Amino acid sequence: MFDNGTSSLRRRTLLAGAAGILAAPRIARAQQGTIKIGMQSIMSGAIALVGTSSRNAAQIEVERINAAGGLGGRKIELVVRDSKGQPQEAARVARELVNSDGCEILLDAEASSGSFAVQEVVRDLGVLCIHTVSETSSLTADPKIRVATAFRSARQGVHDAIVGGGYTAKTAKAKGMTRFATCSPDYAYGRDTTKQYVEFIKHFAPDIEFITEAWPKLGQPDFTDSITKIIQAKPQAMFSLLYAGDLSSFVNQGNVYALFAKLAMFNPNLGDYPVLNAIKQMPPGCYSGTRYLENFPDTPANKAWGEAYRKRFNEYPTNWSWEMATAIGFLEAAAKKGGAADGKKMAQVLPGLAIDSPFGVNGKITMRDDHTIVDYAIGWGETIAKTPFIVDIQAGDWGQIVELETEWKKQNGYV
Amino acid sequence: MRAGSFSRDAAIGLAALLVLAVIPLAVHSPFFTDLIIRLSAMGLLATSLNLLVGATGLVSFGHGMFYGLGAYAFALLMQKTAMPLWEAALLSLVITSVVAAGVGAICIRLRTIYFAFVTLAMQMLLHSIVLSWVTLTGGDQGLRGGIPRRFIFGVDLADQRNLYWASAVVLILGLLAMRHITASPFGVSLRMVRDNETRAAFLGIEVWRAKLTVFVLAGSFAALGGIVASLFVSGAYPELVDWPLSGQAIFAIMLGGIGTFLGPLVGSAILLGLNDLVTRETEYYGLALGIIILLFALGFRRGVTDFVLRRLRPPRVLADVERR
Amino acid sequence: MDLNALGGCLSSAACLVTQGTSGLIVGLLLFMVAAGLTLIFGVLKIVNFAHGTFYMLGAYVALSAYQFTGSYVAAIAAGCLGMGIFGIAFERFLISRVYGTDVLMQLLICYAVVLIFDDVVKIVWGADFQSMGMPPAFQVPPLFIAGGVVPPFYLLLIGVALTIALLLGLALSVTRAGKIVRAAAQNPEMVSVLGINTTLLYALVFAIGGALAGLAGGLAAPVRSLTPGMGFSVLIESFIVTVIGGMGSILGALIAAVVLGLIRSFGTIGFPLFTDELIYVFMIAILVIKPTGLFGREIV
Repeated sequence: MFDNGTSSLRRRTLLAGAAGILAAPRIARAQQGTIKIGMQSIMSGAIALVGTSSRNAAQIEVERINAAGGLGGRKIELVVRDSKGQPQEAARVARELVNSDGCEILLDAEASSGSFAVQEVVRDLGVLCIHTVSETSSLTADPKIRVATAFRSARQGVHDAIVGGGYTAKTAKAKGMTRFATCSPDYAYGRDTTKQYVEFIKHFAPDIEFITEAWPKLGQPDFTDSITKIIQAKPQAMFSLLYAGDLSSFVNQGNVYALFAKLAMFNPNLGDYPVLNAIKQMPPGCYSGTRYLENFPDTPANKAWGEAYRKRFNEYPTNWSWEMATAIGFLEAAAKKGGAADGKKMAQVLPGLAIDSPFGVNGKITMRDDHTIVDYAIGWGETIAKTPFIVDIQAGDWGQIVELETEWKKQNGYV
Repeated sequence: MRAGSFSRDAAIGLAALLVLAVIPLAVHSPFFTDLIIRLSAMGLLATSLNLLVGATGLVSFGHGMFYGLGAYAFALLMQKTAMPLWEAALLSLVITSVVAAGVGAICIRLRTIYFAFVTLAMQMLLHSIVLSWVTLTGGDQGLRGGIPRRFIFGVDLADQRNLYWASAVVLILGLLAMRHITASPFGVSLRMVRDNETRAAFLGIEVWRAKLTVFVLAGSFAALGGIVASLFVSGAYPELVDWPLSGQAIFAIMLGGIGTFLGPLVGSAILLGLNDLVTRETEYYGLALGIIILLFALGFRRGVTDFVLRRLRPPRVLADVERR
Repeated sequence: MDLNALGGCLSSAACLVTQGTSGLIVGLLLFMVAAGLTLIFGVLKIVNFAHGTFYMLGAYVALSAYQFTGSYVAAIAAGCLGMGIFGIAFERFLISRVYGTDVLMQLLICYAVVLIFDDVVKIVWGADFQSMGMPPAFQVPPLFIAGGVVPPFYLLLIGVALTIALLLGLALSVTRAGKIVRAAAQNPEMVSVLGINTTLLYALVFAIGGALAGLAGGLAAPVRSLTPGMGFSVLIESFIVTVIGGMGSILGALIAAVVLGLIRSFGTIGFPLFTDELIYVFMIAILVIKPTGLFGREIV
């Protein structure tokens, strides 16, 4: 079939092409002067903002480090890739970044299910990886899942639940609210984390009862059925873990029913600029955690960072932005302490390392021994319709957070 | 079919296997090994779908459900029981076949576009069950914690190169088996069903039995691909049973060519290559892939292998192909 | 399962009114998308898997028009007209080239259009979610009917949707164009033999389908978040509605969409965890028992 001249020529070209594919990774590895850092995230679909706002922050930080002489003397080259939010693609991309592109460090800005898939790849390849988005506590808290070279520079769900539980209980007591509803997205993060919050709210205020619950699907266009279900039950307050576009939909649709005139809403995820901007009529009586705000912590460093980001990209930074910036801050410090931009050495010095950070409570954030960060800014306050969006912010007490977290870990058999 | 054709196919398969086997010894390329492992999974899915679409004329929109079912059954058996790998793999094929027989019995009653719809609905149902049954499947987070005891006949599949060789063997054996099916008298009766059901029935073929058999067979081969995928990602995720995967398989067979046995495999290779290349170059993956699909659908209008064969083969052979 | 709660709701007028309107509004917006889908299938036998994209683009175009003019009416008109024109372009430049080929080829084209426009939206309007905000005229407290809560804005949407359904039904049964469309749905060859310009007819059908989806997107924009890929879940639901109601039947789509909306709103109270599975099982059962759906006719 292939006996004429053209096709044998074609075959040769094909073989040469195949050889080219095989040889490509070697060329990629050849440049030892620079250090490649792979960043993977969700760049497409409904939550593409996770990826774009993480990448923006990474760009700022990498440029800063390169201008100051690089990571341990090596210039950083950032390789950004889209996983489309699919776990198996996340695993593939992680492998590809390390194996084919020669990345020596991974920055994983995947949502939880993607992060768990990346975690297995990291276990397999032994590469240094910092998860910058997944808040699911077990990723680092569960020793069975923890990996020696994988860290987290994102909030940890249980920290937020302790502070949010405390704030909610206190506010509810002050306002005499005892009948609560919950309305959270129907998937693992939504269900597990809501359960944590409910436990901590009851821990701080045992007389609060939860009288109804609604579980809309993630990305559902219409929340009217959940809203009317909550209205029927006549609660005084509701706790919700809806986030991003779902949350702004919910508030906009709730307004149509004057839902927030009847009840107070506690939601840790309101206090992020994109959500605040997409909610056109912010109702009174909503309380939120501080995801990322330029005025919390209210320091010149934090304000300067937020302003620089806004100027550069003409949009507000998100919670994912500071988490990514923190990850790169840790890489910088670890390379300095370990003496070189070497993933293995950096992984060894990271546990217990503290860095100066605009996002820390006292200007510092620490990577604890269990590979997750502490002392980052957590606060709760009341939301208002215009800047600074959240007022009367009460900061979380890290002594109390760690105490209750340890108890929670014991209950789950993690320590 | 001629008697010699199977031994010829087997020889080609063996040669391909030998070539694949030596490549990692000559060149160290994790990219290439990963690609072949994924191609093994996707190729089995697409080729088995073509048993339905190309050979029998049954257009299924939900074939990916058996791929996902295979992956979940296998990963669950490995995690929850102490079974050795080959037993778990075999048992997941049996489970998938049983489910495929049930699903098939319902679906094959319908024809044309309604068959496509009902298979799609079946996959949506399965996907939604996987999402809801959190205690068994882990819901949207998938089965985490990796797959233990990845040994088969003493070989440790946790090592990526070993998994590469195993996947290559599975792929070649699977393709040979499917090739054998299409070339067998059963395959001939499938084509008769495809071309004219009434005439096939008149000639003594039990149409529903032929359809159901090929539906179950195709489902099992898809499950085999799912097992490879599950080993590759060390677990199982809801995306593996979701219907966009069926869409990808359809795209692969269209891209490679419905009329050629190896078309779906070629299509899978192009699709995976495109995915990797485009993802590498741009964050506008959808835009790039969409334009490529449009160019292909409006320009090429038939699969790559069909297209190439038309140009290479002399007109007489072509006419022969057309007549089949 | 919480059948007590469901029983309690069904026996309370307030709950019936509130959940009833909630189901109606979800169902009727869905109907506007599904009506186009079923019309296109009825006449051209094409499943337009890009229909969710029409809805998404309609919402985004309406958003831009609203930001530009400040008028909600102008916004929905822009979404509706814009998608009508987009529908024609889609039919003329893409779909018309694969008439008579494999159904899979049509599927591929739709898939490509979905992929392309999700990214186009990301490039033009940005990756983050947006919302139009409620037009000032509708920033009014909800009404109370028999103790139930009913927002005036939703009454407007329900009114618009029902008017559209009525107009569509009338147009199909009374006007000449409508009769041709119905005839084409039953026997395309005959229409073409009779010397009717099918090119124009097909473009018209896509224009109507696009305009309806764009209208639904624009109408919903004040209360729903706009994100790239927002058409996906709407496509799935309108596909389900179309299959259950019967491919090609407008009345079927209307009834199935409202039933789906009511299953959602009352399901949230009675059986929140199994609503989706229930709908899929129902869809499979319909396909098996009567493949052409509740109100569809067999295609020859």
